Amino acid sequence: MSLRKLFNFFNLSILLVFLIAFWIDYHREWKIYQRAYYQKTADSLGKKLATLSDPEQKKALKTQIKFWRKHPLEIKQIIAKDLGRVDRCITCHVAMDEFTNPSLTSDIPENPYKAHPDLAVLVKNHPLQKYGCTTCHAGQGLSTTLEEAHYKVTEGHTVVWEEPILKQPYIQASCAKCHADFEKLRGAEMAALGKDLFQKHGCIGCHQLKGVGGVISVDLGDIADKPLARIAPHNFEEAGVPHDKYSVQSWIEAHLTKDPMDFVSNDPLGKFNAEPIAPSGMPPYYKELKEKEAKALTTYLLSLSNKSIPKDYYVYASPKPEPNFNNAVEHGKYVFNKYGCQGCHGMDAKLGRRNFNALGPGQDSSKPWEIEEMAKGQEPTLVDVVGTYTRGELKKKIQDGVPASSLAKFNPDGPIPPLYMPSWREKIKGQELEDLVSYLLSIAKKQESW
Amino acid sequence: MADIVTPPVSPNGRKRLDFDQIKKTVIDSQIWRSIFRGGVWKDTPRDRAAHIIGNVWLHLHPVKVRKRAIEWTYTWGLGGISFMLFLILTLTGVLLMFYYRPTIDLAYRDMKDLEFAVTLGKLMRNAHRWSAQAMVVFVILHMMRVFLTAAYKKPREFNWGVGVLLLTFTLFLSFTGYLLPWDQLAIWAVTVGTNMAGASPFLGNEGPFGSLMGMRINNDIRFTLLGGTTVGENTLLRFYVLHCVAVPLLVGVLLILHFWRIRKDSFSAAPRDPNEEKVEVWPNLIVREYMAAAGCVLVILLWSVLQNAPLEVVANPNVTPNPSKAPWYFVGLQELLVYFDPWIAGVVIPTVIIIGLMAIPYLDEDPRGVGYYSIRERPFANTLFLLGIAMWFILIFIGYFCRGPNYQWYWPWESWLKVKAPPPPTWSLPMWAGGLLLLAYFGLGLVAPKLIQKDINWKKAFLWCGAALTGFSLICLFQGITWDRLPWLYFFGFAYFLFGFLVPQRYIRTLSWTRYIVTMSLVLMMMGVLLKMGLRLGFDIKYVFTLPQFSLNI
Repeated sequence: MSLRKLFNFFNLSILLVFLIAFWIDYHREWKIYQRAYYQKTADSLGKKLATLSDPEQKKALKTQIKFWRKHPLEIKQIIAKDLGRVDRCITCHVAMDEFTNPSLTSDIPENPYKAHPDLAVLVKNHPLQKYGCTTCHAGQGLSTTLEEAHYKVTEGHTVVWEEPILKQPYIQASCAKCHADFEKLRGAEMAALGKDLFQKHGCIGCHQLKGVGGVISVDLGDIADKPLARIAPHNFEEAGVPHDKYSVQSWIEAHLTKDPMDFVSNDPLGKFNAEPIAPSGMPPYYKELKEKEAKALTTYLLSLSNKSIPKDYYVYASPKPEPNFNNAVEHGKYVFNKYGCQGCHGMDAKLGRRNFNALGPGQDSSKPWEIEEMAKGQEPTLVDVVGTYTRGELKKKIQDGVPASSLAKFNPDGPIPPLYMPSWREKIKGQELEDLVSYLLSIAKKQESW
Repeated sequence: MADIVTPPVSPNGRKRLDFDQIKKTVIDSQIWRSIFRGGVWKDTPRDRAAHIIGNVWLHLHPVKVRKRAIEWTYTWGLGGISFMLFLILTLTGVLLMFYYRPTIDLAYRDMKDLEFAVTLGKLMRNAHRWSAQAMVVFVILHMMRVFLTAAYKKPREFNWGVGVLLLTFTLFLSFTGYLLPWDQLAIWAVTVGTNMAGASPFLGNEGPFGSLMGMRINNDIRFTLLGGTTVGENTLLRFYVLHCVAVPLLVGVLLILHFWRIRKDSFSAAPRDPNEEKVEVWPNLIVREYMAAAGCVLVILLWSVLQNAPLEVVANPNVTPNPSKAPWYFVGLQELLVYFDPWIAGVVIPTVIIIGLMAIPYLDEDPRGVGYYSIRERPFANTLFLLGIAMWFILIFIGYFCRGPNYQWYWPWESWLKVKAPPPPTWSLPMWAGGLLLLAYFGLGLVAPKLIQKDINWKKAFLWCGAALTGFSLICLFQGITWDRLPWLYFFGFAYFLFGFLVPQRYIRTLSWTRYIVTMSLVLMMMGVLLKMGLRLGFDIKYVFTLPQFSLNI
């Protein structure tokens, strides 16, 4: 190629590539959606036009149709100053832009053109200009493409951003973030159910919520803020979460719908570390939780965040009063559930849950030390064992606890069992302790007398 | 002139527009003549010379250059492309500055704005990012070209030094820009990079003699760089000012110096035959410069359309990604952290590289080989220089592609999702053994090549080396080393023997003692890095020699 030809080739190519770049830049994804919205609006007005007969009205409607057809395309955004958010969601979800569509209603039933549901309550009480979109819905408010705004969380090895969009029922977590009394809210039923289940299944026995509860596992008080970088990708992989679904939501739900031991297997045989490390101590709950219940629990947990909310956005509620009991055993049962004892000892203390490598009753230590056998270790089944204690001994046991290091192991070379009895001295005391012991002694299986 | 005077007449008798007449009127007008000197372009040698001399943008060129200087295969346009990238970076950088605010609340948000709301914002950012990476590559390539054509030799020693400084500043510019998007990639790469500064001797709080100088975490050189003890608001502002104002000004000043010296020292290309005529710069050189620049713009533009610059989740000082890596051009130094104490890997080695590069023209007094590629006339210089460059890029390759979670070794085709067993435990030589080994390596290695005063037969030398290595490996096998380690032993043994002994012995034993000792020290240090890599990767030796008092861990 001669130099002159090369000269022309380069100049034309640069011009061409720049024009292509400009063309790509000009034809952004959001424009397709916005234009379609205006056209659909004009079309529906056009249908109305056919039914009209009054020429004055017709003329007015025609101007309106023209207005929509020629509407310039623009990026629309809500700047929610107090909440520190800039949300461009309404660029595509045009029906939810108060300036384009003051009534906020829409005849178009599909996304992204449909109206916000429950305008009378949700939008009236949470003005869009004040709250923005991502405050409740999560996602990336600044992004203007479908993928970047809603779902895209990871790319290769790296986290592109956190917080994918929340859908039903998980979005109810957003109600619970500000409404301390969310149990009474219409539309936050799943979050409320989750809170009930959290108490009912004794999660609080091992997990604290902002400092309240058992100390065996992590504090869940800010679980919604957990950075994805803190969750090893291979754990996601083993939990069967596909690469594009990595999120705190799927991480929590995996713990409730699968056996945590299977995907947080750690290093029970000491292959990778100097000391063997037990798998996740969380007992499998997937058998006792229905799918809906797991979703409800996930929803509730996603509401637990430490991110600050301006205090005038917060809806306060007074804590529930402690119920009164006349009967010591009834009160004891309430205390048992209140502190989450059932988290380890089973519902109504009827069946101790799995405790990896603890020497459980009926476990034969002569069996081979395999993971399956180690996984048969369990926490004491109280109905079977409390009968062997006196009242004083039982009280002392609850007060002192049993440190993990002094638990009998199934495989002496295996890892320390992950679950143990913490000391409840500072937490359960006075009448609560007395009545708890009364309750426990009342449910002990009767020993055969001799 | 008389023939232009009669205006052409169209068949129907009306006067036609006479373009030649218009052109002449315009060019002869006072406005045109005040802007562009010279009259109508007649393409005479005088015109072409005047075009270079009379134009402020072009007059840094000579009027004529040697034929070889305009050949693609001599310069490859590398210096020009580097400068063009600098210009692209300036242009896109200024455009980006209109949208970017260097505070930790806004910086990341502005990245999103650029991507989603600013017209051509994404293209500008992509072009800036890719040009910056390309500039690092092209400046290194340019340095290689200058070295291989011996263009650093007298009288151009000083300009080579300026070039090395420009390379350093190019890396620093790229590094300071790395922080500005304020995403996880940015702050952790900069954290890794600046932590090395904390290990500087005397000036860093973790470096040797640091405590002697009263260095603490809040007053050492790292603190000065960061404006705090961690990467934060002050760091962002500091890096912004360094990136947008301070360093570009410095680079600009050095560039002027660099170009002016090229002009004054004349271009390095050697004549093909002693009596050859030089060729005119306009249009021969100018058109080629334009072509290189245009090609560069085209590739950058195309690449920026096809490939987006990375942007990760917003920076979070509390969440460290695993693994955290420095920017790719510093990953080689990060990889050296595996083999040496931080202050050696992060401070001493780069300093020695920079000073060593600048010293080259003063060490290499051989006047041969200037202005053309020749391995035959400069076997030692070219071999060892290319070996050094190869090592730099091999280190980068290992650090960038072969290191996964926990900085463990993962082959590029291995999934990081697979949990790996920890590497076998490392061990260090006892102090006396390490000391003796080092002493022998630097003592014998330094003087032996010069003391052996006759040419060694290559074939025999290799046979002897092979025999020695075989004997040594047999001893090692008896001492319990496994078979699979033997290739390491042979590879690094031969590599040292060839590049650390045979080549220097053959080609630089005639140097004066001072030049010889300095050159040989640099060679031994370079080979030492290679050997240490072999010892660590092949034989799990953590340190050969440790002096804990000075954290001297080699």
